[in-house]
Amino acid sequence: MNGTVIATAGLRKAYGAVRAVDGIDLDVRAGDVYGFLGANGSGKTTTVRMLLGLVLPTSGTVEVLGRPIPKAGREVLPRVGALIEGPAAYPHLSASANLSLMDAAGPGGARRGRRQRIAEVLDQVGLGGVGKRQVRGFSLGMRQRLGLAGALLRRPDLLILDEPTNGLDPQGIHEIRTLLLDLNRTGTTVFLSSHLLAEIEQLATRVGVLDRGRMVLQDDLATLTAPTGATVVRTPDPARAVRELGDRVLSADGERLVVRGSEPAEVNAVLVGAGVPVSGLALDRPTLEDVVLAAAAGSGDRVPVGTTVSGAAA
Amino acid sequence: MLRRRWRWAVVALGLAVLVSLPALVEALPAADRDVSAGELRERVLASDDVAFSGYAISTGGLTLPVSDALTGVADLLSDQTSLRAWYRGADDWRVDVVTATGETGTHRDATGTWTWDYADQAASRGTLPPLALPTAPDLLPSALGRRLLSEATDDELSRIAPARVAGVDAPGLRYTPADTAASVSAVDVWVDPGTGLPLRVVVRGGDTTTPALDTRFLDLSLATPDASTTDFRPPPGADIRSDQDLTDVDLGRQERADLPATLADLGRRGFDGVPEQIGVYGSGITVLAVSALPGRAAAALRDQLAATPGAVTDDLGVRIAAGPLALMVAGTSTRDGGTGTYLLAGTVTLDALATAARQIQEAAS
Amino acid sequence: MIGVELRKLFRRPRTWITIALLNALPVLVAVLLKVTDLAPRPGEGPAFLSAVLTNGTLYPLAALAIVLPLFLPIAVAVVAGDAVAGEAQGGTLRYLLARPAGRTRLLVAKLVAVIAFVLVTVVIVAAVGYVVGTALFEVQSLGATTGISGTSLTPEQVAGRTLLSIGYITVSMLGVAAFALFFSTLTDSPQLATLGALAVLIGSSLLFTLDAASDIAPYLPTRYWLSFVDFFREPILWRNITRGLGLQAVYVVVLLGAAWANFTTKDVTS
Repeated sequence: MNGTVIATAGLRKAYGAVRAVDGIDLDVRAGDVYGFLGANGSGKTTTVRMLLGLVLPTSGTVEVLGRPIPKAGREVLPRVGALIEGPAAYPHLSASANLSLMDAAGPGGARRGRRQRIAEVLDQVGLGGVGKRQVRGFSLGMRQRLGLAGALLRRPDLLILDEPTNGLDPQGIHEIRTLLLDLNRTGTTVFLSSHLLAEIEQLATRVGVLDRGRMVLQDDLATLTAPTGATVVRTPDPARAVRELGDRVLSADGERLVVRGSEPAEVNAVLVGAGVPVSGLALDRPTLEDVVLAAAAGSGDRVPVGTTVSGAAA
Repeated sequence: MLRRRWRWAVVALGLAVLVSLPALVEALPAADRDVSAGELRERVLASDDVAFSGYAISTGGLTLPVSDALTGVADLLSDQTSLRAWYRGADDWRVDVVTATGETGTHRDATGTWTWDYADQAASRGTLPPLALPTAPDLLPSALGRRLLSEATDDELSRIAPARVAGVDAPGLRYTPADTAASVSAVDVWVDPGTGLPLRVVVRGGDTTTPALDTRFLDLSLATPDASTTDFRPPPGADIRSDQDLTDVDLGRQERADLPATLADLGRRGFDGVPEQIGVYGSGITVLAVSALPGRAAAALRDQLAATPGAVTDDLGVRIAAGPLALMVAGTSTRDGGTGTYLLAGTVTLDALATAARQIQEAAS
Repeated sequence: MIGVELRKLFRRPRTWITIALLNALPVLVAVLLKVTDLAPRPGEGPAFLSAVLTNGTLYPLAALAIVLPLFLPIAVAVVAGDAVAGEAQGGTLRYLLARPAGRTRLLVAKLVAVIAFVLVTVVIVAAVGYVVGTALFEVQSLGATTGISGTSLTPEQVAGRTLLSIGYITVSMLGVAAFALFFSTLTDSPQLATLGALAVLIGSSLLFTLDAASDIAPYLPTRYWLSFVDFFREPILWRNITRGLGLQAVYVVVLLGAAWANFTTKDVTS
């Protein structure tokens, strides 16, 4: 797999006067774990639905796996596994019956070997023991796992997952994270939409940030969190350290100093040479949170008096 | 968005075509034939050996105030009646009155009729009385058209615009009765140009726009129907009765009266086997029937008529008009010192009815 | 796709509960008739009910006539109204479409599943009617059943025409099904879609009884429902039957077209 897996150009969706998605140019490449970040109501879900042909764009184009959506949906979507805004299943049917029906409902799910695939995928998401049980009795976490199983059933080239760890306990989250990373290692591109920074930071190789329908940031995570050329020093005696380093100190916050200079060893030598105790030393990197907060204006569901709502319908 | 509009447009267009199609077909002009009114009437009168089968619908626009004794007739003239007909000849036919969940079929053979009533699970045998109240088979356009035109004269006839009836472009004929007593203003008949079979008959009375009666074929086939279709054998388990005819009714033979030879300028017609107390006058579409009536029956009917809106009550009796149909109870019972009571009914004006009542009284006293 | 829809429909407990309830009324009527021996007069009450006391083999028709005006169309409206809106409400619609099931295919499969439901239901009502009728009432062993026209029908004719009636009644329900299916694509609430179809049904039945509406009567979806009775006239009166079939076809084409135009261009946000 090479090249671009998801590409949108000028993607726009308006509901009346409200612009839910306002000119997005997504660029997801093969092998990425793409973190699609955005506050609630920023247009994430509408974008995901447009990628899958559920919502039709007002203007702009969508290409998935190199083919236009929704036009070539029949050709492309069988190679895409999706979890859209929470799982859904027929409650009166068993987990495996649900998977079997979904598999038979579209192209690319051969009847031969279906039972085998279902058993495998249920094992993979940790539902191997309850495949014959009615979904009616499932917990939220079990339903989430079943939804994930549905997305994985046809060994897709691309996974589009909207909030995949919703309703899972910490062990569950860790399990799913490991599963996704394993899949990515074997060549699956993962498009992960979430409002949880930590989750994206732990998984993603590329990040796109959506704010009120607009893409404010899209880059490799490594680039975004690249060293700033400064060194972070921790010392129990910041006053002396500031004196020694002079105008190299960019900021001081309690025992934490940010010092110009991309060589921590050099900074260390200066301080130790002057007899200033050093308790910690590291390259200065911005956290994803810093990057996102700097790029995005604020929470999408916070509506102060006097502001007009745009992008509320996502 | 464009695609959405385009798809809705396709649906709207399809709907418009489907909805307007029947109206468009209806609006297509019917072709006319170059045939004179007199000639057309001749063809109609000669059409009683034309075999056919078909489905007809008759819509009556008359509300008769009589309910008990004459419900059958009242229904025929006020309601919509669906008729299925198979006709092999004048004495071999079948007419079914079709209702949603049942039917009443009349089967004519050489010696009489069988009437099958599904609702009663009864078959009744009728002989052929010289005079009978109208029944559903009489409303079939073919039968009604022939009957109404049978006594029309050429100067009462004119041609009108053709119409499409049961898929046939049928030339039209109008019969405007010349009798001053006539209450029917016109009878329009559309005729199958090939066979002379009347396909639609519209009876118009007075000045109202709704016809008093409109009967027409919706489907017509000129193939001769199977004999087995018109034939009737009472099914096992059915109730078998014999029809009452009009002459069996007790008409008050004690009140013998001599009816005059003309009433309201309408001449009396003779029928074999009809009791003296019943007189039929007039011709064509202008007909007056007079019957002596027992005093008690007369009193009940008089009350009923008097209670009808628009009834005229004077010393001659009570009379009402329902479209072109007029009805009157006249005279005084002999028991009350009068000259006897009479029922007058027909397609004449109320004035003609009054004149006739006076003439009967004068003749009796 | 059609197979998937059929499996969904017939593996759903609600489907079978509906069919069972639908059969309850004719069975109750049969038992009451047997106990009281009070059959309605011919021409009154549901078609053919008057005849069943003397001939139990006509009970399938009487049972159909009993459920035809209300019970059957309600069941159809419930199932068809649920078709798309039920998936939307349950959230499975988005997964079906992202699978991708294809919107037009899905719609057609839903319609086929509804037709299958109607057919299965009608056949079961007739079958239960036959069992109940022959068990409770007399059966004329030597044959001749009296048809509406006063002619005798052989048992083979009765059976054949009963089958024709089953087919005709199935087709008669398509108009209601198409309405419910169309409404089902308009809303995410199956109850609303069902109610919409029932409103059409009740409106149509009401207008049919109104003389003032006689001009539009031939276009009402319920206009020719009772015409299955025409199979028991001799000869069969095809006029209203063919019109009934044509009318239902027009309703299906127009409403399915509208459902298609709406559903294929609609944003699925459920």
